[in-house]
Amino acid sequence: MTLAFSLSGIAKRYPHFALQDVSLDLPEGQVMGLVGVNGAGKTTLLRLLTGLAAPDSGEVQVLGHRLPEGQVDAKRDIGFASEDMRLYRGQTLRWHMDLVSRIYPGWDEPYADDLVKRFELRPEQVLGGFSHGQRVKALLLLCLARRPRLLLLDEPTTGLDPVARLEVLEALADVLRDESRSVLFSSHNTHDVEQLADSITFLHKGRLVASADKHAFVDSWRRVVCQGALPAGLDAWPEIASARANGSVVEIKARAWNDQLPARLAAQGLQVQRADPMALEDIFVTAVRSGGVA
Amino acid sequence: MTLNTPVIRLLVAKDWQLFQKQLAFYVLAGIVALCFLGLAKPWAFYVGSLMLLIVMVSAACFSISTSLMVERKEQTLAFVMSLPVSPLDFTVSKLAGNALTFAVPFVVLLGGTLAVVLFTPLPDGLFVYALLIFAYLLFAYAVSLAVAMSVESEGWATFAMIGSMVLINPYIMALTQVPDISERVSVDALVWTTPAVAILATLVVLSLAVLGLTGWFHARKPAFY
Repeated sequence: MTLAFSLSGIAKRYPHFALQDVSLDLPEGQVMGLVGVNGAGKTTLLRLLTGLAAPDSGEVQVLGHRLPEGQVDAKRDIGFASEDMRLYRGQTLRWHMDLVSRIYPGWDEPYADDLVKRFELRPEQVLGGFSHGQRVKALLLLCLARRPRLLLLDEPTTGLDPVARLEVLEALADVLRDESRSVLFSSHNTHDVEQLADSITFLHKGRLVASADKHAFVDSWRRVVCQGALPAGLDAWPEIASARANGSVVEIKARAWNDQLPARLAAQGLQVQRADPMALEDIFVTAVRSGGVA
Repeated sequence: MTLNTPVIRLLVAKDWQLFQKQLAFYVLAGIVALCFLGLAKPWAFYVGSLMLLIVMVSAACFSISTSLMVERKEQTLAFVMSLPVSPLDFTVSKLAGNALTFAVPFVVLLGGTLAVVLFTPLPDGLFVYALLIFAYLLFAYAVSLAVAMSVESEGWATFAMIGSMVLINPYIMALTQVPDISERVSVDALVWTTPAVAILATLVVLSLAVLGLTGWFHARKPAFY
């Protein structure tokens, strides 16, 4: 299995924040969604993957290059766009496209023109007149048309209206049809992640809370509604992320649902009424609040 | 340690394209100032020299603030850093881009000033004096550029820029205190005195050293953050 990137034992400390002990791999051709609240460490992780930041300890390998030493070679095959990245306000989109096309030999002009039409952008318009949505689309166009092997997107849909968000997600979905292209995108929006990603990684307070295949991961979580009194110590079970009682109804959120769990709960005096699959957003909130690694 | 020269060249060209209209304006304003100087009348000399200083200081500040401080503030720096460049490539491109955008008005207006001194009724003694003023501007520019490249704080960068440029006033005052310099300004002959040559050489060497040290410091950084 070829890896698009591999992080092992990464630590990066800033005065008020630290990314700690992060080990993470992305196989080539996979799409990984990186989910975390503001300040979780998503941007720091993406900076490490582009070589913009150097880890204090650990090793970063991207597309076969060790970073940050090999960042120039790695960045030739990386398309990176972040929410805090801006283009030159006084210049046109065409000027930016010309600049980027001269830097990347793999620039695909027909594809760029196709994206211009799809995103309804005006190449001769200066960026200063673009809306936020148009700016995001312009950045994505500049990333996608260079045909990168690895696409790193930091909050690509933040601040977009529903129509622009859908257009961006559709363009990304098209890109993802290319099985040799790997994508890591961060978002607070779990719906976007649920829609596009093959695997999910949760970051919280600089630590990896969970990282797994999306379907297996979502499938392992259940919201279990029981009848009875909440037994003491249920929170300490490794399979249980949270448990709370409301009268005689006990709601349990299980991070590792298995067929034996109802019987074990019954042994504690709890009658399982129903066990429902959970939405990714609910899983994320529960995982973050429980603080444990799923 | 190798440089990604083709991309550095493109980034320098990018800075040049971004600023060429404004730079043309500075050169034009400088030429107007030189026309005043060339009239060789006391009032015109005062207006022309003041205007020339303003133009040179503005060109220096414009070059640094737009290519570094504004780029940081408007977050276009993140776009540049995402391109296939190392911190060293980025430093070289910024030093070269700034050198170019500042050098063009600097060289044009320095050349123009020296020509005006030599080919108008103005005393030729002003030749060395003008060189000393321009040498200080070069030094102040080098210090401002080095600080702007080395600190992320806009406040410190602005302080260094304004501080070093404003110090031209006491510098000019200090030059008037050196008889070997001040007494030859109004003489219609080009005379190189030891203090003038020493100050000139010191300022040029210091400017190059400051820029060289900045490049060396950034070359040792493995990453941008």
